[in-house]
Amino acid sequence: MQDEFPVAGPQAGHLQASIALVFERLAGRTVLAASKQGPPLRVVRAFPLEDGAALVHLHNLSGGLLGGDRIELEMRLGAGASAQVTTTGATRLYRPRAEAPTTVQTNTIRVSEDALLEYVPDQIIPFAHSRFCQRTTIELSPGAGLFWWEILAPGREAHGELFTYDSVELTMEVLALKRPILCDQARLQPKKYALESRARLGHYRYWATFYLCRVGLEPAFWLDAEQRLRGITRKLGSPGDVLWGVSTLVAHGLVVRCIAREGHSIPAGLREIWRAAKLLMYNREPIPPRKVN
Amino acid sequence: MPLEPELDDPKLVESAYLAFLRLLQLADSALPIGALAHSFGLESLVEAEMLTPPGLPDFLRGYLEEAGMLDAVFCRHAFRLGGRNGEGFPSARWVEINDRLSALKPARESRAGSAALGQNFLAAVLGVAECQALREAFEAVRRSRGPVYHCTAFGLAAGVLGIDEECAVLGFLHQAIASLVSACQRLLPIGQSEATRILWNLKPTMIETAGRSRDYRIDEVSCFMPLLDWGAMEHPALSTRLFIS
Repeated sequence: MQDEFPVAGPQAGHLQASIALVFERLAGRTVLAASKQGPPLRVVRAFPLEDGAALVHLHNLSGGLLGGDRIELEMRLGAGASAQVTTTGATRLYRPRAEAPTTVQTNTIRVSEDALLEYVPDQIIPFAHSRFCQRTTIELSPGAGLFWWEILAPGREAHGELFTYDSVELTMEVLALKRPILCDQARLQPKKYALESRARLGHYRYWATFYLCRVGLEPAFWLDAEQRLRGITRKLGSPGDVLWGVSTLVAHGLVVRCIAREGHSIPAGLREIWRAAKLLMYNREPIPPRKVN
Repeated sequence: MPLEPELDDPKLVESAYLAFLRLLQLADSALPIGALAHSFGLESLVEAEMLTPPGLPDFLRGYLEEAGMLDAVFCRHAFRLGGRNGEGFPSARWVEINDRLSALKPARESRAGSAALGQNFLAAVLGVAECQALREAFEAVRRSRGPVYHCTAFGLAAGVLGIDEECAVLGFLHQAIASLVSACQRLLPIGQSEATRILWNLKPTMIETAGRSRDYRIDEVSCFMPLLDWGAMEHPALSTRLFIS
């Protein structure tokens, strides 16, 4: 299939960077046991959380992603480990040079038996004419858990840039016990296919998705959880401003979707759902990272 | 006509006409598989006043570009499993295709609805045309305890029954949109003439979608319909429902 926005191999002048993080459980706590980091991506250190998990912040020292950059993020959580990963700010997709290929970020994650990964980043802001592709593959072992959200802004609203990017592609594949339980393959090309269409965003501008998984919980648990979380999503919603929906996945989890006119209500909504879901799934509350938003 | 039959070969002519007539029946809303019981989230959008008669043609055009494209790609890949002559039925690949489509459908009711249609479709075809490949496909999903979806069942049956691939994909897209238009006639003040006009005018988009679907792998086709996702996810909570999904 011929891609209108081809993803080329690494080229001179474009960044190729990778970061690999290994979390292990030792003496009742999770530690960042190993890391391999290439600039501009940095993790300074892991911070211990009260529940024994490890918190890391992903820094991009260049502030954002440039046209043609290729970033690889690998994370492996050993058995029983618990890690929370966030960003230090929004992921900015800068305006590229016209000839630059698509910016690509590849995330490869493995969550071992009874481990838990909470990936709670800030939003992605695509600048005018940016072209971005993020591909995420997550393998979950028996008992593994996942909380993973993504928030996509329409652009730099304060600069009047609304859906002026060329393309944003967000691909997510979650496998549990080697079978796919979730595949999200979203390709947004505002100049080609109007996002304002009622078939897509309508008059909403922001899009968020939140995956909540724990391998091994029974289907009846997830149906009950869907119903309970729907009680929360309906309260969070305000038709015309923000809509939230929740549904069970094929197995082992739930997906939550949000579309909103403004972005300011999304983080609080995600945290409320995260709290409710973690209480249901793990009988304990999450410890959100300290953030201004 | 799906094929240009050779006029001096009666067997080819009969074969082409037979394939055409079979396609007409498989894509007919009268095929008893329960297609008219599903709105796939449209009922919620109408209830929330997010889908109105003036906006319907644009919505359905976008639907074809996104969900229609997804279904078309999977229909094709299933079709190609059915068109393999002289080889054993590739059960593992058939299960893999349906598994992947399961994971691509985020809303439970819509996923279950499409799976119900797929199951009923295969059973309906097996009821009139005993075919080893279809029987093996039916057994393969039963053994794997996985679903079979309407688009994949349709594609597979079309491949087995000698229907042309392009016509199969177009036939599936046409019946999918016709079902949605029919649902909208029950949900919105849309008369028969208007419904006919909407379906008539969407044919170029169906052709364009089918053409685009030709070379996609199942792991690269995209679908972005967040408003419809919301509608489908909200549907279980509607206090009054005409449709199962």
